[in-house]
Amino acid sequence: MSSIQLVVFRLGEEEYGIEIGFAQEIIRIPAQITKMPDMPSYLKGVIDLRGKVIPIIDLKERFGFRQAERSEDSRLLILDLENMLLGVLVDDISEVIKIEDEAIEKLSVEITSLGNNAIQGIARIDERLILLLNALKLKIEVFRSCE
Amino acid sequence: MIALAGIESCKTLAEFMVNLIPGGVVFGLVEGDTFVWVKSSDSFTVDFFKVGNQLNADTTTMQAIREKKVLTQNIPRTVYGKRISIVSIPVINDKDEAVGALSIIFPKLHPIAAAFEDFAPILAEMFHEGSFLYMSDLTKIAYTQASEKFDMPSISVGDDLIESNIAFQVIKSKKPMTEEIEASRYGMPLTIANFPLFDDGNEEVVATLGIVTPKNTAVTLRQMSLNLENSLTGIAAAIQQLAASASEIHSNERALNSDIKEIINISEEIHEVSTFIKEIADETKMLGLNAAIEAARAGDAGRGFGVVAEEIRKLSAQSKSTVPKIQKLTNTIKQRVDETSERSNRSLDASQGQAAASEQITASIEEITSMAEALSNISKTL
Repeated sequence: MSSIQLVVFRLGEEEYGIEIGFAQEIIRIPAQITKMPDMPSYLKGVIDLRGKVIPIIDLKERFGFRQAERSEDSRLLILDLENMLLGVLVDDISEVIKIEDEAIEKLSVEITSLGNNAIQGIARIDERLILLLNALKLKIEVFRSCE
Repeated sequence: MIALAGIESCKTLAEFMVNLIPGGVVFGLVEGDTFVWVKSSDSFTVDFFKVGNQLNADTTTMQAIREKKVLTQNIPRTVYGKRISIVSIPVINDKDEAVGALSIIFPKLHPIAAAFEDFAPILAEMFHEGSFLYMSDLTKIAYTQASEKFDMPSISVGDDLIESNIAFQVIKSKKPMTEEIEASRYGMPLTIANFPLFDDGNEEVVATLGIVTPKNTAVTLRQMSLNLENSLTGIAAAIQQLAASASEIHSNERALNSDIKEIINISEEIHEVSTFIKEIADETKMLGLNAAIEAARAGDAGRGFGVVAEEIRKLSAQSKSTVPKIQKLTNTIKQRVDETSERSNRSLDASQGQAAASEQITASIEEITSMAEALSNISKTL
Protein backbone atom coordinates (compact mmCIF):
# COMPACT_ATOMS: atom_id res chain seq x y z
CA MET A 1 0.00 0.00 0.00
CA SER A 2 1.46 3.27 -0.99
CA SER A 3 0.96 6.42 0.95
CA ILE A 4 1.88 10.05 0.81
CA GLN A 5 2.88 12.56 3.45
CA LEU A 6 1.09 15.84 3.52
CA VAL A 7 1.75 19.20 5.09
CA VAL A 8 -1.73 20.30 6.25
CA PHE A 9 -2.66 23.96 6.62
CA ARG A 10 -5.78 26.03 6.73
CA LEU A 11 -7.10 28.72 4.42
CA GLY A 12 -10.06 30.24 6.19
CA GLU A 13 -12.23 27.35 7.39
CA GLU A 14 -10.90 24.78 4.94
CA GLU A 15 -7.96 22.47 5.30
CA TYR A 16 -5.52 22.02 2.49
CA GLY A 17 -2.73 19.56 2.02
CA ILE A 18 0.39 19.64 -0.11
CA GLU A 19 2.90 16.84 -0.64
CA ILE A 20 5.70 17.13 1.84
CA GLY A 21 8.29 16.78 -0.85
CA PHE A 22 7.39 20.22 -2.14
CA ALA A 23 7.66 21.81 1.27
CA GLN A 24 10.98 23.25 2.25
CA GLU A 25 10.23 24.92 5.56
CA ILE A 26 7.78 26.88 7.64
CA ILE A 27 8.61 30.31 9.02
CA ARG A 28 6.84 33.15 10.73
CA ILE A 29 5.65 35.86 8.41
CA PRO A 30 8.52 38.35 8.23
CA ALA A 31 7.73 41.85 9.40
CA GLN A 32 9.06 43.23 6.20
CA ILE A 33 7.95 42.07 2.76
CA THR A 34 9.41 44.10 -0.06
CA LYS A 35 6.60 45.14 -2.37
CA MET A 36 7.12 45.11 -6.09
CA PRO A 37 5.48 47.57 -8.45
CA ASP A 38 2.86 46.69 -11.05
CA MET A 39 2.08 43.23 -9.76
CA PRO A 40 -1.20 41.39 -9.14
CA SER A 41 -2.42 42.13 -5.62
CA TYR A 42 -2.02 38.49 -4.45
CA LEU A 43 1.71 38.79 -5.06
CA LYS A 44 2.69 40.45 -1.82
CA GLY A 45 6.28 41.05 -2.73
CA VAL A 46 9.59 39.35 -2.06
CA ILE A 47 11.63 38.45 0.99
CA ASP A 48 15.22 37.59 1.55
CA LEU A 49 15.56 34.15 3.10
CA ARG A 50 19.15 33.30 3.91
CA GLY A 51 20.45 35.00 0.82
CA LYS A 52 17.71 33.86 -1.54
CA VAL A 53 15.00 36.16 -2.87
CA ILE A 54 11.63 34.46 -2.60
CA PRO A 55 8.33 35.78 -3.99
CA ILE A 56 5.42 35.70 -1.59
CA ILE A 57 1.82 35.07 -2.64
CA ASP A 58 -1.34 35.29 -0.60
CA LEU A 59 -3.02 32.01 -1.49
CA LYS A 60 -6.39 33.06 -0.15
CA GLU A 61 -6.38 36.13 -2.31
CA ARG A 62 -5.22 34.09 -5.24
CA PHE A 63 -8.07 31.61 -4.69
CA GLY A 64 -10.61 34.42 -4.54
CA PHE A 65 -11.41 34.31 -0.79
CA ARG A 66 -13.18 37.45 0.27
CA GLN A 67 -11.48 37.72 3.60
CA ALA A 68 -7.76 37.64 3.38
CA GLU A 69 -6.69 38.95 6.77
CA ARG A 70 -3.96 37.25 8.76
CA SER A 71 -4.07 35.94 12.29
CA GLU A 72 -1.32 35.36 14.80
CA ASP A 73 -1.28 31.73 13.68
CA SER A 74 -0.67 32.72 10.05
CA ARG A 75 2.60 31.34 8.67
CA LEU A 76 4.70 31.44 5.61
CA LEU A 77 5.08 28.04 3.96
CA ILE A 78 8.16 27.94 1.72
CA LEU A 79 7.60 25.58 -1.20
CA ASP A 80 10.32 24.18 -3.43
CA LEU A 81 8.68 23.83 -6.83
CA GLU A 82 11.28 22.23 -9.00
CA ASN A 83 14.12 24.49 -7.99
CA MET A 84 11.92 27.51 -7.68
CA LEU A 85 11.21 28.74 -4.18
CA LEU A 86 7.79 30.23 -3.47
CA GLY A 87 6.43 31.52 -0.20
CA VAL A 88 2.69 31.08 0.38
CA LEU A 89 0.80 32.84 3.16
CA VAL A 90 -1.50 30.36 4.96
CA ASP A 91 -3.65 30.40 8.12
CA ASP A 92 -2.02 28.05 10.60
CA ILE A 93 -0.06 25.03 9.50
CA SER A 94 -1.58 22.29 11.62
CA GLU A 95 0.34 19.11 10.99
CA VAL A 96 2.31 16.74 8.85
CA ILE A 97 0.30 13.56 8.23
CA LYS A 98 0.67 10.37 6.32
CA ILE A 99 -2.40 9.22 4.40
CA GLU A 100 -3.08 6.13 2.39
CA ASP A 101 -3.85 6.45 -1.30
CA GLU A 102 -7.27 4.88 -0.73
CA ALA A 103 -8.24 7.83 1.42
CA ILE A 104 -7.86 10.15 -1.54
CA GLU A 105 -10.69 10.80 -3.90
CA LYS A 106 -9.68 12.16 -7.28
CA LEU A 107 -11.97 14.83 -8.59
CA SER A 108 -13.61 14.12 -11.92
CA VAL A 109 -12.36 16.02 -14.92
CA GLU A 110 -15.75 17.65 -15.28
CA ILE A 111 -15.37 19.31 -11.95
CA THR A 112 -11.71 20.28 -12.22
CA SER A 113 -12.33 21.81 -15.59
CA LEU A 114 -14.85 24.24 -14.08
CA GLY A 115 -12.19 26.08 -12.16
CA ASN A 116 -8.62 26.73 -12.90
CA ASN A 117 -7.28 26.08 -9.44
CA ALA A 118 -4.81 23.52 -8.48
CA ILE A 119 -6.99 21.07 -6.45
CA GLN A 120 -6.17 17.53 -7.49
CA GLY A 121 -8.27 15.56 -5.02
CA ILE A 122 -9.83 15.33 -1.56
CA ALA A 123 -8.41 13.34 1.32
CA ARG A 124 -10.84 12.06 3.95
CA ILE A 125 -9.44 11.51 7.43
CA ASP A 126 -12.13 10.65 10.00
CA GLU A 127 -14.54 13.55 9.70
CA ARG A 128 -12.08 15.91 8.08
CA LEU A 129 -11.90 16.71 4.40
CA ILE A 130 -8.53 17.95 3.20
CA LEU A 131 -8.22 19.56 -0.20
CA LEU A 132 -5.09 18.31 -1.95
CA LEU A 133 -3.11 20.88 -3.85
CA ASN A 134 -1.14 19.92 -6.92
CA ALA A 135 2.05 21.82 -6.30
CA LEU A 136 3.25 21.87 -9.87
CA LYS A 137 -0.10 22.96 -11.16
CA LEU A 138 -0.10 25.65 -8.54
CA LYS A 139 3.21 26.90 -9.87
CA ILE A 140 1.88 27.00 -13.39
CA GLU A 141 -1.35 28.70 -12.34
CA VAL A 142 0.33 31.28 -10.23
CA PHE A 143 2.87 32.26 -12.73
CA ARG A 144 0.80 31.82 -15.82
CA SER A 145 -1.40 34.69 -14.82
CA CYS A 146 1.68 36.69 -14.07
CA GLU A 147 3.06 36.23 -17.48
CA MET B 1 -63.99 96.35 137.27
CA ILE B 2 -67.11 94.94 138.80
CA ALA B 3 -69.06 96.55 141.63
CA LEU B 4 -69.73 94.21 144.52
CA ALA B 5 -73.39 94.97 144.18
CA GLY B 6 -73.48 93.64 140.63
CA ILE B 7 -71.68 90.41 141.37
CA GLU B 8 -74.85 88.29 141.53
CA SER B 9 -75.81 89.45 138.02
CA CYS B 10 -72.37 88.46 136.78
CA LYS B 11 -72.76 85.00 138.30
CA THR B 12 -76.14 84.58 136.62
CA LEU B 13 -74.68 85.70 133.29
CA ALA B 14 -71.74 83.29 133.73
CA GLU B 15 -74.14 80.37 134.40
CA PHE B 16 -75.68 80.98 130.98
CA MET B 17 -72.49 81.57 129.07
CA VAL B 18 -70.30 78.81 130.49
CA ASN B 19 -71.26 76.19 127.86
CA LEU B 20 -71.71 78.63 125.02
CA ILE B 21 -68.06 79.65 124.67
CA PRO B 22 -66.20 77.52 122.09
CA GLY B 23 -63.31 75.62 123.70
CA GLY B 24 -64.89 75.93 127.14
CA VAL B 25 -64.32 78.32 130.04
CA VAL B 26 -64.12 78.43 133.83
CA PHE B 27 -65.53 81.28 135.87
CA GLY B 28 -64.27 81.70 139.44
CA LEU B 29 -65.15 84.25 142.13
CA VAL B 30 -62.49 85.01 144.70
CA GLU B 31 -63.12 86.75 147.98
CA GLY B 32 -59.91 87.84 149.63
CA ASP B 33 -57.73 84.98 148.46
CA THR B 34 -60.23 82.11 148.40
CA PHE B 35 -62.55 80.75 145.72
CA VAL B 36 -66.10 81.17 146.87
CA TRP B 37 -67.83 80.30 143.65
CA VAL B 38 -66.64 78.35 140.57
CA LYS B 39 -68.50 77.55 137.41
CA SER B 40 -66.80 75.24 134.83
CA SER B 41 -67.88 74.33 131.33
CA ASP B 42 -68.52 70.68 130.47
CA SER B 43 -65.58 70.47 128.04
CA PHE B 44 -62.97 72.33 130.06
CA THR B 45 -62.11 72.45 133.74
CA VAL B 46 -59.04 73.20 135.77
CA ASP B 47 -58.70 71.05 138.88
CA PHE B 48 -57.19 73.79 141.02
CA PHE B 49 -60.11 76.13 140.45
CA LYS B 50 -62.36 74.82 143.21
CA VAL B 51 -64.39 76.46 145.91
CA GLY B 52 -62.27 76.77 149.04
CA ASN B 53 -58.89 76.75 147.34
CA GLN B 54 -56.63 79.61 148.32
CA LEU B 55 -54.57 81.57 145.85
CA ASN B 56 -50.95 82.50 146.33
CA ALA B 57 -50.01 86.13 146.41
CA ASP B 58 -48.12 85.87 143.11
CA THR B 59 -51.11 84.72 141.11
CA THR B 60 -52.63 86.91 138.46
CA THR B 61 -55.87 87.22 140.41
CA MET B 62 -54.16 88.38 143.59
CA GLN B 63 -52.12 90.85 141.59
CA ALA B 64 -55.25 92.23 139.95
CA ILE B 65 -56.85 92.69 143.39
CA ARG B 66 -53.77 94.43 144.72
CA GLU B 67 -53.42 96.71 141.78
CA LYS B 68 -57.19 97.20 141.28
CA LYS B 69 -56.64 96.57 137.57
CA VAL B 70 -58.04 94.13 135.07
CA LEU B 71 -55.18 91.76 134.24
CA THR B 72 -54.85 89.22 131.48
CA GLN B 73 -52.12 86.63 131.65
CA ASN B 74 -51.05 83.43 129.91
CA ILE B 75 -50.14 80.70 132.33
CA PRO B 76 -47.74 78.03 131.11
CA ARG B 77 -48.51 74.32 131.30
CA THR B 78 -46.18 73.85 134.24
CA VAL B 79 -48.53 75.64 136.62
CA TYR B 80 -51.87 73.88 136.14
CA GLY B 81 -51.00 71.04 133.76
CA LYS B 82 -52.48 72.80 130.76
CA ARG B 83 -51.95 76.07 129.08
CA ILE B 84 -54.52 78.66 130.04
CA SER B 85 -55.27 82.33 129.78
CA ILE B 86 -56.65 84.10 132.79
CA VAL B 87 -58.58 87.34 132.83
CA SER B 88 -58.95 88.71 136.35
CA ILE B 89 -61.41 91.49 137.00
CA PRO B 90 -61.21 93.06 140.53
CA VAL B 91 -64.48 93.37 142.54
CA ILE B 92 -64.82 96.77 144.24
CA ASN B 93 -67.01 97.55 147.22
CA ASP B 94 -68.73 100.90 147.72
CA LYS B 95 -65.65 102.21 149.54
CA ASP B 96 -63.67 101.66 146.40
CA GLU B 97 -61.74 98.80 147.94
CA ALA B 98 -60.88 95.68 145.98
CA VAL B 99 -62.34 92.85 147.98
CA GLY B 100 -62.01 90.07 145.47
CA ALA B 101 -61.99 89.29 141.78
CA LEU B 102 -63.87 87.50 139.06
CA SER B 103 -61.44 85.27 137.17
CA ILE B 104 -62.27 83.91 133.74
CA ILE B 105 -60.06 81.05 132.59
CA PHE B 106 -59.81 80.07 128.91
CA PRO B 107 -57.95 77.07 127.62
CA LYS B 108 -54.94 78.27 125.68
CA LEU B 109 -54.80 76.23 122.52
CA HIS B 110 -52.60 76.72 119.43
CA PRO B 111 -54.86 77.68 116.50
CA ILE B 112 -53.64 74.67 114.53
CA ALA B 113 -54.42 72.34 117.41
CA ALA B 114 -57.78 73.96 117.77
CA ALA B 115 -58.50 73.44 114.11
CA PHE B 116 -56.87 69.98 113.87
CA GLU B 117 -60.14 68.08 114.00
CA ASP B 118 -61.44 70.26 111.17
CA PHE B 119 -58.57 70.38 108.71
CA ALA B 120 -56.73 67.11 109.39
CA PRO B 121 -59.36 64.74 107.88
CA ILE B 122 -59.38 66.81 104.70
CA LEU B 123 -55.62 67.34 104.48
CA ALA B 124 -54.91 63.66 105.15
CA GLU B 125 -56.86 62.65 102.05
CA MET B 126 -55.10 65.16 99.83
CA PHE B 127 -51.95 63.09 99.33
CA HIS B 128 -52.32 60.64 96.49
CA GLU B 129 -50.98 57.73 98.54
CA GLY B 130 -52.84 58.93 101.64
CA SER B 131 -51.17 60.27 104.76
CA PHE B 132 -51.17 60.19 108.54
CA LEU B 133 -51.27 63.45 110.49
CA TYR B 134 -50.49 63.89 114.15
CA MET B 135 -49.85 66.61 116.66
CA SER B 136 -47.83 66.41 119.78
CA ASP B 137 -47.44 68.72 122.69
CA LEU B 138 -44.04 68.84 124.35
CA THR B 139 -44.26 65.38 125.81
CA LYS B 140 -47.07 63.36 124.27
CA ILE B 141 -48.94 62.61 121.08
CA ALA B 142 -52.02 64.83 121.29
CA TYR B 143 -53.99 64.16 118.13
CA THR B 144 -53.84 61.68 115.28
CA GLN B 145 -55.59 61.53 111.93
CA ALA B 146 -55.39 58.57 109.55
CA SER B 147 -56.47 58.68 105.91
CA GLU B 148 -58.47 56.14 104.02
CA LYS B 149 -55.40 54.79 102.22
CA PHE B 150 -52.86 55.00 104.99
CA ASP B 151 -52.74 54.64 108.75
CA MET B 152 -50.02 54.27 111.36
CA PRO B 153 -51.52 52.15 114.10
CA SER B 154 -48.20 52.28 116.02
CA ILE B 155 -48.77 55.96 116.85
CA SER B 156 -51.69 56.71 119.12
CA VAL B 157 -52.87 59.57 121.28
CA GLY B 158 -51.15 59.66 124.65
CA ASP B 159 -47.92 57.99 123.52
CA ASP B 160 -44.88 59.58 125.14
CA LEU B 161 -42.39 61.25 122.85
CA ILE B 162 -39.02 59.57 123.02
CA GLU B 163 -35.69 60.93 121.97
CA SER B 164 -35.66 59.15 118.63
CA ASN B 165 -38.95 60.75 117.59
CA ILE B 166 -38.62 63.42 114.99
CA ALA B 167 -41.11 65.51 117.05
CA PHE B 168 -38.69 65.38 119.98
CA GLN B 169 -35.87 66.68 117.80
CA VAL B 170 -38.06 69.41 116.31
CA ILE B 171 -39.02 70.62 119.80
CA LYS B 172 -35.32 70.81 120.64
CA SER B 173 -34.14 72.43 117.42
CA LYS B 174 -37.25 74.61 116.89
CA LYS B 175 -36.89 73.97 113.18
CA PRO B 176 -38.99 71.96 110.73
CA MET B 177 -37.48 68.60 109.84
CA THR B 178 -38.07 65.99 107.18
CA GLU B 179 -37.00 62.40 107.53
CA GLU B 180 -36.97 59.61 104.96
CA ILE B 181 -37.72 56.24 106.47
CA GLU B 182 -36.69 53.00 104.80
CA ALA B 183 -39.31 50.38 103.99
CA SER B 184 -37.67 48.03 106.49
CA ARG B 185 -39.06 49.97 109.46
CA TYR B 186 -42.75 50.27 108.70
CA GLY B 187 -43.18 47.95 105.73
CA MET B 188 -43.11 50.74 103.20
CA PRO B 189 -40.94 53.76 102.53
CA LEU B 190 -42.19 56.87 104.33
CA THR B 191 -41.47 60.54 104.54
CA ILE B 192 -42.15 62.23 107.89
CA ALA B 193 -42.27 66.00 107.95
CA ASN B 194 -42.55 67.68 111.31
CA PHE B 195 -43.13 71.36 111.97
CA PRO B 196 -42.70 73.21 115.28
CA LEU B 197 -45.74 75.28 116.36
CA PHE B 198 -44.92 78.42 118.30
CA ASP B 199 -46.94 80.20 120.92
CA ASP B 200 -48.45 83.50 119.89
CA GLY B 201 -45.96 86.30 119.97
CA ASN B 202 -42.97 84.41 121.36
CA GLU B 203 -40.38 81.87 120.33
CA GLU B 204 -41.64 79.13 122.61
CA VAL B 205 -42.39 75.84 120.88
CA VAL B 206 -45.67 74.57 122.27
CA ALA B 207 -46.49 71.73 119.89
CA THR B 208 -45.52 69.96 116.73
CA LEU B 209 -47.44 68.96 113.64
CA GLY B 210 -46.32 65.83 111.82
CA ILE B 211 -47.30 64.58 108.38
CA VAL B 212 -46.39 61.03 107.45
CA THR B 213 -46.70 60.16 103.75
CA PRO B 214 -46.00 56.81 102.13
CA LYS B 215 -43.48 57.00 99.26
CA ASN B 216 -44.29 53.85 97.32
CA THR B 217 -44.82 55.64 94.02
CA ALA B 218 -41.75 57.81 94.31
CA VAL B 219 -39.55 54.91 95.36
CA THR B 220 -40.93 52.71 92.58
CA LEU B 221 -40.36 55.54 90.13
CA ARG B 222 -36.83 56.07 91.38
CA GLN B 223 -36.15 52.35 91.15
CA MET B 224 -37.55 52.26 87.64
CA SER B 225 -35.55 55.23 86.48
CA LEU B 226 -32.46 53.64 88.02
CA ASN B 227 -33.20 50.39 86.19
CA LEU B 228 -33.78 52.38 83.02
CA GLU B 229 -30.43 54.09 83.45
CA ASN B 230 -28.70 50.77 84.03
CA SER B 231 -30.35 49.17 80.99
CA LEU B 232 -29.42 52.15 78.87
CA THR B 233 -25.83 51.94 80.05
CA GLY B 234 -25.87 48.29 79.00
CA ILE B 235 -27.37 49.12 75.62
CA ALA B 236 -24.86 51.91 75.11
CA ALA B 237 -22.04 49.50 75.84
CA ALA B 238 -23.52 46.92 73.45
CA ILE B 239 -23.80 49.54 70.75
CA GLN B 240 -20.25 50.62 71.31
CA GLN B 241 -19.21 47.02 70.80
CA LEU B 242 -21.34 46.94 67.68
CA ALA B 243 -19.69 50.09 66.39
CA ALA B 244 -16.30 48.61 67.18
CA SER B 245 -17.10 45.42 65.27
CA ALA B 246 -18.53 47.48 62.42
CA SER B 247 -15.25 49.32 62.16
CA GLU B 248 -13.42 45.99 62.33
CA ILE B 249 -15.61 44.71 59.49
CA HIS B 250 -14.78 47.91 57.67
CA SER B 251 -11.03 47.42 58.01
CA ASN B 252 -11.34 43.71 57.18
CA GLU B 253 -13.25 44.56 54.04
CA ARG B 254 -10.54 47.05 53.10
CA ALA B 255 -7.89 44.38 53.59
CA LEU B 256 -10.04 41.97 51.57
CA ASN B 257 -10.30 44.53 48.80
CA SER B 258 -6.55 44.97 48.57
CA ASP B 259 -6.09 41.16 48.66
CA ILE B 260 -8.56 40.89 45.81
CA LYS B 261 -6.61 43.43 43.78
CA GLU B 262 -3.48 41.39 44.38
CA ILE B 263 -5.28 38.24 43.21
CA ILE B 264 -6.35 40.08 40.07
CA ASN B 265 -2.73 41.07 39.45
CA ILE B 266 -1.55 37.51 40.01
CA SER B 267 -4.12 36.09 37.65
CA GLU B 268 -3.05 38.66 35.08
CA GLU B 269 0.52 37.48 35.54
CA ILE B 270 -0.63 33.87 35.09
CA HIS B 271 -2.33 35.02 31.93
CA GLU B 272 0.93 36.51 30.70
CA VAL B 273 2.80 33.32 31.56
CA SER B 274 0.24 31.31 29.62
CA THR B 275 0.70 33.61 26.65
CA PHE B 276 4.39 32.88 26.90
CA ILE B 277 3.65 29.13 27.00
CA LYS B 278 1.56 29.55 23.87
CA GLU B 279 4.43 31.28 22.12
CA ILE B 280 6.80 28.48 23.09
CA ALA B 281 4.24 25.92 21.93
CA ASP B 282 3.87 27.72 18.60
CA GLU B 283 7.59 27.82 18.20
CA THR B 284 7.95 24.15 19.12
CA LYS B 285 5.19 23.25 16.70
CA MET B 286 6.96 25.03 13.89
CA LEU B 287 10.17 23.32 14.92
CA GLY B 288 8.38 19.93 14.80
CA LEU B 289 6.82 20.64 11.41
CA ASN B 290 10.09 21.81 9.97
CA ALA B 291 11.80 18.74 11.39
CA ALA B 292 9.11 16.56 9.77
CA ILE B 293 9.64 18.31 6.44
CA GLU B 294 13.38 17.88 6.82
CA ALA B 295 12.94 14.20 7.67
CA ALA B 296 10.73 13.64 4.62
CA ARG B 297 13.29 15.28 2.39
CA ALA B 298 15.95 12.99 3.80
CA GLY B 299 13.85 10.04 2.63
CA ASP B 300 14.40 6.68 4.35
CA ALA B 301 17.35 8.04 6.29
CA GLY B 302 15.12 10.60 7.96
CA ARG B 303 12.42 8.17 9.05
CA GLY B 304 13.55 7.95 12.71
CA PHE B 305 13.93 11.68 12.84
CA GLY B 306 10.40 11.97 11.43
CA VAL B 307 9.05 10.05 14.44
CA VAL B 308 10.87 12.43 16.79
CA ALA B 309 9.53 15.38 14.81
CA GLU B 310 5.98 14.01 15.17
CA GLU B 311 6.45 13.61 18.93
CA ILE B 312 7.72 17.18 19.20
CA ARG B 313 4.68 18.36 17.27
CA LYS B 314 2.31 16.38 19.51
CA LEU B 315 4.05 17.77 22.57
CA SER B 316 3.63 21.29 21.27
CA ALA B 317 -0.05 20.61 20.56
CA GLN B 318 -0.46 19.35 24.14
CA SER B 319 1.31 22.37 25.65
CA LYS B 320 -0.74 24.66 23.50
CA SER B 321 -3.99 22.97 24.52
CA THR B 322 -3.22 23.78 28.17
CA VAL B 323 -3.09 27.46 27.35
CA PRO B 324 -6.82 28.01 26.74
CA LYS B 325 -7.51 25.92 29.88
CA ILE B 326 -5.22 28.13 31.91
CA GLN B 327 -6.74 31.21 30.34
CA LYS B 328 -10.23 29.93 31.02
CA LEU B 329 -9.24 29.33 34.64
CA THR B 330 -7.65 32.75 35.01
CA ASN B 331 -10.72 34.30 33.42
CA THR B 332 -12.93 32.41 35.88
CA ILE B 333 -10.71 33.59 38.72
CA LYS B 334 -10.97 37.15 37.46
CA GLN B 335 -14.74 36.92 37.12
CA ARG B 336 -15.18 35.40 40.58
CA VAL B 337 -12.78 37.88 42.11
CA ASP B 338 -14.65 40.74 40.46
CA GLU B 339 -17.89 39.43 41.96
CA THR B 340 -16.21 39.06 45.35
CA SER B 341 -14.82 42.54 45.04
CA GLU B 342 -18.25 43.92 44.29
CA ARG B 343 -19.71 42.08 47.26
CA SER B 344 -16.98 43.30 49.55
CA ASN B 345 -17.60 46.84 48.31
CA ARG B 346 -21.25 46.39 49.16
CA SER B 347 -20.29 45.10 52.62
CA LEU B 348 -18.02 48.10 52.95
CA ASP B 349 -20.95 50.40 52.21
CA ALA B 350 -23.19 48.43 54.54
CA SER B 351 -20.67 48.56 57.35
CA GLN B 352 -20.37 52.31 56.87
CA GLY B 353 -24.16 52.53 57.06
CA GLN B 354 -24.06 50.42 60.18
CA ALA B 355 -21.50 52.69 61.79
CA ALA B 356 -23.65 55.73 60.98
CA ALA B 357 -26.78 54.04 62.32
CA SER B 358 -25.09 53.02 65.54
CA GLU B 359 -23.92 56.60 66.00
CA GLN B 360 -27.52 57.74 65.66
CA ILE B 361 -28.68 55.10 68.14
CA THR B 362 -25.96 56.20 70.55
CA ALA B 363 -27.19 59.78 70.29
CA SER B 364 -30.79 58.71 70.91
CA ILE B 365 -29.72 56.62 73.89
CA GLU B 366 -27.82 59.53 75.34
CA GLU B 367 -31.01 61.54 75.06
CA ILE B 368 -33.05 58.81 76.73
CA THR B 369 -30.38 58.45 79.42
CA SER B 370 -30.57 62.12 80.28
CA MET B 371 -34.37 61.79 80.37
CA ALA B 372 -34.03 58.87 82.77
CA GLU B 373 -31.74 61.00 84.93
CA ALA B 374 -34.30 63.80 84.89
CA LEU B 375 -36.98 61.27 85.84
CA SER B 376 -34.84 60.05 88.70
CA ASN B 377 -34.38 63.63 89.90
CA ILE B 378 -38.14 64.24 89.73
CA SER B 379 -38.78 61.08 91.73
CA LYS B 380 -36.40 62.38 94.41
CA THR B 381 -38.50 65.51 94.79
CA LEU B 382 -41.79 63.60 95.15
